Amino acid sequence: MSEKSIVSQADRVLVTGSNGFIGTSVVENLLSRGFNNLRLFVRPSGKLEKLKKILEKYSTGKNIEIISGDLLSREDCKSAARDVAVIIHLAAGFEKSFAGAFMNSALATRNLIEAFIELGQPKRFVNVSSFAVYSNLKMERGALLDETCPLEDAPQERCDAYGFGKLQQEKIVRDYGKKNGLPFVILRPGAVYGPGKPDLSGRVGINTFGFFIHLGGSNELPLTFVDNCAEAIVLAALKPGVDGETFNVVDDEKMTSREFLAARKKAKKFFSIYVPYPFAYLGSVLWENYSKKSHGQLPPVFNRRRCAAEWKGNRYSNQKLRDRLGWKQKVPLAVAMKSFLAQYQ
Amino acid sequence: MTLRIAIIGCGKIADQHIHAFSRIGDCEVVALCDRELLMANQLGERFGITACFADAAEMLRATKPDVVHITTPPQGHFPLAKQCLEAGSHVYLEKPFTITAIEAEELIHLAENRNLKITAGHNYQFTLEMLEMRRLVAENFLGGKAVHVESHWPYDLSDASYVGPILGSKTHWVRQLPGQLFHNLISHGIAKLVEFLGDEVKVTAHAHQSQRLKSLNGQEVQDELRVFLRDENGTTAFFCFSTQIKPGLNFLRICGPKNSIFVDNSSGTLLRLENKSYKSYLTFFAPPLVSARQHFRNARKNIFDFLKGRLHQDSGMKELIERFHQSIKTKSAPPIPYREIILTARIMDEIFAQIKNSVK
Repeated sequence: MSEKSIVSQADRVLVTGSNGFIGTSVVENLLSRGFNNLRLFVRPSGKLEKLKKILEKYSTGKNIEIISGDLLSREDCKSAARDVAVIIHLAAGFEKSFAGAFMNSALATRNLIEAFIELGQPKRFVNVSSFAVYSNLKMERGALLDETCPLEDAPQERCDAYGFGKLQQEKIVRDYGKKNGLPFVILRPGAVYGPGKPDLSGRVGINTFGFFIHLGGSNELPLTFVDNCAEAIVLAALKPGVDGETFNVVDDEKMTSREFLAARKKAKKFFSIYVPYPFAYLGSVLWENYSKKSHGQLPPVFNRRRCAAEWKGNRYSNQKLRDRLGWKQKVPLAVAMKSFLAQYQ
Repeated sequence: MTLRIAIIGCGKIADQHIHAFSRIGDCEVVALCDRELLMANQLGERFGITACFADAAEMLRATKPDVVHITTPPQGHFPLAKQCLEAGSHVYLEKPFTITAIEAEELIHLAENRNLKITAGHNYQFTLEMLEMRRLVAENFLGGKAVHVESHWPYDLSDASYVGPILGSKTHWVRQLPGQLFHNLISHGIAKLVEFLGDEVKVTAHAHQSQRLKSLNGQEVQDELRVFLRDENGTTAFFCFSTQIKPGLNFLRICGPKNSIFVDNSSGTLLRLENKSYKSYLTFFAPPLVSARQHFRNARKNIFDFLKGRLHQDSGMKELIERFHQSIKTKSAPPIPYREIILTARIMDEIFAQIKNSVK
C-alpha cells in the first residue's frame, strides 16, 4: 500500500450494509488494498451470495467476520463496533415514512457512533449520505452544485422521507464530531449506477403512472459508477487530514439524462414519454396546491422542491474529491456503461 | 372547546394521527412523548410542536392533556393507558387495544369509574363504505338479525420493510406478542365481525405457515389463519387472514334473513344483495346487469367523494377520531361500544390459545 493511511492493513474495519449494492464493492476495494481484518455487518434477512463470492476471491490470510444484526439494537451495535478502528457506514433504510426513515438512518447511526466511541478505537467514521440532502430550489438552472450549496430545509414539504433521514443522520454525525471529538468524513454520492441495480435514477424520470416519463431531458446527471464510488468511500476512510470534511462523489465523465436513457433503451427497449421541465414544474405546482387544498387527499409526492431537486438540472463538481482525497475515476465511462447495461441482456 | 392532545409513541402511525387532527379542527397537539426522545423531537420538528418528552409521567404532569393518543407497540398500551386514565386524560389506544382481554376489561372499568372515555383504533370500521353499511343495517335492509358474517383481511409479505425486521429478530416486539404477526394485524378484521355477534362466542381456529414465509425463513411465525365463530343465538361468522391469497381480499359480507350486504374495503365499495327472483333465462341476464349498475354507482360515488375531498386514504381514522373527540365534548357514548372492544379482545385471546402449538 503506497498511499498514506490513518490505519494499517491489520486494523479492524467495520462495513455496515456490506452486502448491499455499494457495500460489496467497498469490501472488494478494501480486500484488494490488502486490508485483512474486516467485520462485515449485514441485516439478518440480507442476501449474502454476492458478498460471499467476493470473499472467496480474496480468501487467503484474511480475518473476515460476517455478523448479522439490527443497528436499532444497541447490543448489536456494540458487537459490531468492538475493537474497530474505522467504520464505513453504508447501511441505509428505504422507508417511505418519515419516522421509519429517521429510525433507520439517524437512530441507527446514533447507536453505532455511541458503541464506536465506547468500545472501538475510533480513527474515522465514514458516513455515506446522499445528494438528496441538497436543495437547489433557489439556484439557477444549470448552476454548479458542490459541497457549499444549501441543504434542504423543508424535507417534509418535499415529501422526501429518505432525504429527511439522511439530513438527520448527517446532523447526528456532526453533533458527535463537535461534542465528542468523533473523527468523521461525510460522503454524498450522486446517482450511483452499476450491475445489480437495474432501476433508473429518479433524475432520469419516473414510472409512477405505469409508463416511463422522461423528465431529465438534456440535464447533466451526477453519475458515479459503483466501483468509482466505492473507491471514494475507501479513500475517505484512509486519507489523513480530512476529518470533518464533506465530499460530493460524481465521476469525471458525464452523461446527460437523454444520453443515459438512450443507452438504456438500446440494451432493452421500453416506452417512454418526454415531459420538458416547465411542464413538469407546472404539474408539480398544481399537484402540490391540490394536495394542500384537499388536506393531503393526494399526498404531495410531486411538488416544487422535488421537481427542482430532480429535474431542474445542475452541473456537478468533483474538484474537492480529487484535490483532497486524491480520487481518480478508475473505471472509464465506456467500461462502466457496458457493465451496467449487461444486466438487461 | 379545543381539546388538548398528547401523543405517546412517535413512530410511523403518529404522523397519520397528526394529519387527521389537522382535518378535524378543534384540537391541538400540546405534547409528544417517546421513550426515545429523538423520535419525539423529529416529529415535533416536522409539525412545529415544541413540548417533547421521554417520560410519560413527566409529560402528563407538565401538560395535563385532555386526550392522550397512544401509538406505541402493543406491549406499552395497558400500562400507559392506565397511567393516562389515572392522570385524568381520555385515551385513544391504537390497535390491538391490549395484549389480553383481562387488560382490556380493566382499562374500560377504570375509564368508566373515572368518568373518562377510551377507544380502540379500529378505524376501518369507520370508512365511508362501512358507514354506508351501518346505515343500511339500521334501516333493516338485512330484514332482521344477521345470520352469517364473513370478514377477510390480507397482508402482503412483499412489503419487506415490515416483515424483514420481524423475521430478522426474535426480540422484535411483534415476535414477543402471544399471537405474533396475527396479533398485530387481525384486530381490524375481527372487530368488523363483532358488532353482529352476541357476547358468548365459540371459536374454532386453525393456523399454519405458508410456503412463501417458510422460504423467507419464517421460523415459528404463522401467516395463514382461518377462524369459525358461533354465538349463543346461532349467528355464525368466518374470519380469514391470508398473506397468500391474491389479489388480497379485504371485505365484509353480512348475510341477513331477507337481503345481504357485501362491503369491499379494498375498493371502498358496497353492494346490496337483494333477494329477487327472475323468470327463466332472466336469472342469467338480470343479476349481472343489476350488479353492473351498482358497480357503476360505486365508481361514480367514489369519484364524487374524491372531487369533494372526502375520499382520504385514512378517512376511517379521521372519522373515528372525530367521533371520539365529539363524544368527549358532548359527554355522549364513545364511537365503539365497550362490549365490542372487549369481545374483540376475548376472541383474539381464544384464537391465540388455540393456535399456540400448531407450528412444528
